Amino acid sequence: MESLLQHLDRFSELLAVSRTAHVRTWDPVTVRRALQWARYLRHIHRRFGRHGPIRTALERRLHNQWRQEGVFGRGPVPGLASFQALGHCDVLLSLRLLENQALGDAARHHLVQQLFPGPGVPDADEETLQESLARLARCGSAVHMLRFNGYRKNLNLQEDSLMKTQADLLLERLQEVGKAEAEGPARFLSSLWERLPQNNFLKVIAVALLQPPLSPRPQEESEPSIHKTPGEGSQALVHWLLGNSEVFAAFCRALPAGLLTLVTSRHPALSPVYLGLLTDWGQRLHYDLQKGIWVGTESQDVPWEELHNRFQSLCQAPPPLKDKVLTALETCKAQDGDFEVPGLSIWTDLLLALRSGAFRKRQVLGLSPGLSSV
Amino acid sequence: MAQESVDLSCDYQFWMQKLSVWDQASTLGTQQDTCVHLARFQEFLRKMYEALKEMDSNTIFERFPTIDQLLAKACWNPFILAYDESQKILIWCLCCLINKEPQNSRQSKLNSWVQGVLSHILSALRFDKEVALFTQGLGYAPIDYYPGLLKNMVLSLASELRENHLNGFNTQRRMTPERLASLSRVCVPLITLPDVDPLVEALLVCHGHEPQEILQPEFFEAVNEAILLKKISLPMSAVVCLWLRHLPSLEKAMLHLFEKLISSERNCLRRIECFIKDSSLPQAACHPAIFRVVDEMFRCALLETDGAPEIIATIQVFMQCFLEALEKENKQLRFALKTYFPYTSPSLAMVLLQDPQDVPRGCWLQTLKHISELLREAVEDQTHGSRGGPLESWFLFIHFGGWAEMVAEQLLRSAAEPPAALLWLLAFYYSPHDGRQQRAQTMMAYVVAPCRRGNLQPCGQRHSPPTEVAQDGTPHVAHCPARRPFLPEVV
Repeated sequence: MESLLQHLDRFSELLAVSRTAHVRTWDPVTVRRALQWARYLRHIHRRFGRHGPIRTALERRLHNQWRQEGVFGRGPVPGLASFQALGHCDVLLSLRLLENQALGDAARHHLVQQLFPGPGVPDADEETLQESLARLARCGSAVHMLRFNGYRKNLNLQEDSLMKTQADLLLERLQEVGKAEAEGPARFLSSLWERLPQNNFLKVIAVALLQPPLSPRPQEESEPSIHKTPGEGSQALVHWLLGNSEVFAAFCRALPAGLLTLVTSRHPALSPVYLGLLTDWGQRLHYDLQKGIWVGTESQDVPWEELHNRFQSLCQAPPPLKDKVLTALETCKAQDGDFEVPGLSIWTDLLLALRSGAFRKRQVLGLSPGLSSV
Repeated sequence: MAQESVDLSCDYQFWMQKLSVWDQASTLGTQQDTCVHLARFQEFLRKMYEALKEMDSNTIFERFPTIDQLLAKACWNPFILAYDESQKILIWCLCCLINKEPQNSRQSKLNSWVQGVLSHILSALRFDKEVALFTQGLGYAPIDYYPGLLKNMVLSLASELRENHLNGFNTQRRMTPERLASLSRVCVPLITLPDVDPLVEALLVCHGHEPQEILQPEFFEAVNEAILLKKISLPMSAVVCLWLRHLPSLEKAMLHLFEKLISSERNCLRRIECFIKDSSLPQAACHPAIFRVVDEMFRCALLETDGAPEIIATIQVFMQCFLEALEKENKQLRFALKTYFPYTSPSLAMVLLQDPQDVPRGCWLQTLKHISELLREAVEDQTHGSRGGPLESWFLFIHFGGWAEMVAEQLLRSAAEPPAALLWLLAFYYSPHDGRQQRAQTMMAYVVAPCRRGNLQPCGQRHSPPTEVAQDGTPHVAHCPARRPFLPEVV
């Protein structure tokens, strides 16, 4: 067991080095050995991937590595990034080496020979490295062609395939990081927030929070990287959002009303904070007598329309969220003086607008014009 | 050898030009043209590889100075990379360009360049910058998530197609014809990639709401080819949709079956049955439109071969498989018999379509007499409504080998004077073109023959025009067992 774990350590180092200029010193023997180790580890993963003790030992070793390297704060893992990666570590290594122009002539030639031996007898048991690489190329072209010739962004972000894939990856990574270190996810998310394009990141978080919960199932080989275990991942996300008010404010600002309503319905812990934000935004607006509308003082204030949109969307959510929202609005209205006349309290006006909007909607739908709960 | 190398040079020029025109296959025209040429280009690549692997890098460049451009252009065309094994062969060709021991910086640079191109092929063309940044930021490489991404995209597209199919009236969410056509084009190189099956199936089954066909013919051809070569496995409903939407595919499937039957040396009935069942045609024929086309092709084959017994045997086996499949179909839409045999009287069709084995022995004579009567009526019906006269009735009758067997067995068993109706049936079966008188003669001969030979075995024989009747009036029946050894099991 110990030798296996040492193997893992050394291979992880190798993988990290394979990206650097250090490969200049590699000769064909080094290349061959590296590929052999990769093949060995891949074989181990295939044979023992489901085995409790061996799998646990390997995972723990990896987690140790990450902790030592302090990767959670800094950036992506240089070596082996996940246990699942072992399943195709030979492909990973091959691709990194191929991308590395620092490779010497002899090493390069040997690498290419090893990776692409040419037509020959296919291995009955396992897919050869050559086959895996060819399949990756084919898969990549397929994605490229579908992306540019058939794909259309789904307006419901949570159903969009690109978004879903990113969300799956985020959840998977969070789960792994959570296993390695209890505080891992929070620090990891913060570091992502610093490094990645924020708009996209926020959307991915929202989609991740809406992924359907699946009952935990034993790890499957078929899809080594994408497996849904949203429970822990989602919790980590919610926890982090609640702990970072600046992020949460950006989250609520950037995303469309409908999406936020869905997220808050799904994760009730977020609703008080969301409502709090909305009330803050509302209080920043004042009534412009001349124009007859509610306006903000600064350019970054949320305009009336958007505020109204969000409340409208929330009122269309199923209870208990809908009730919470209405209660909050009524409370604010009462605090303001409980006016019924428009133009004095934004909460009155909002409630009036929501009520008439609901009334109109019921008319359009041919429903009876009852005032029900609004 | 010299001729081959000249051929290769010609091909080389041809493909070089094509690749230049195609560029990255981003327009409708270039995509269509690329799709049509994918298989041939792959063949060319194979030939190139065979030639290149014998040479070292310098020789290659002497022979084909622009080889690097050719290969690079091919690598930039996603259709080529996506097709079958083309990406592998391209990689092999590129590997041949590497200098084992570079003598100068130029050769070193070339090696670097090859490495770069190889990396490009495998780096899975990046598209969305944001997505790439995100995944990298998480520490994932394309190999980690591309299979999952492909799956998500395929499922998403398939469900969009299905929704489009079901909600025709919601014009906002409708898939435009251009997008559908584009999707079908893009699927052509990907047909044999199993991850794409759900999308192929959805494209076939969900035909939207346009009155004319939108999907590209190249798509149908490619799917059909893959089905015939067993490179894809689709549910029966998708195959039926394919054959209903694209007639040439159905015809090709039939021709493929005929080719298999012809090329196989000795065809026993079991083997014929295997080929037929394998082709999925009997199940598909449960849809009357398909049945009619298949039947028509059988008819043509029969006429072309002048009534070859092999074709008759095939038709009979096909009908058995078809009836079995029809039995298993538990669909709500059960088509009336008339739709399968529109030119036959319903009573005749009904009686012929029953399973002979369902008829109790005691009723055999009755049933056969009835069939004989009905057929005779149809044959002798010269009125305005009838189609084709005796030939059509005969064509119908030979679909069902079971009845002819039953006639023979009935005649053999019964010691009494054979009823004229049965003799008529037998005579008709073997010589549909006979005039009344000729048939009467033949019938007489049948009565005589068993006494002479002691057995009567209707098996495969040429059903040719009356001119081939033997001089002494004996029917062909008696000659057959020795001459047609391939149908030993018919009776």
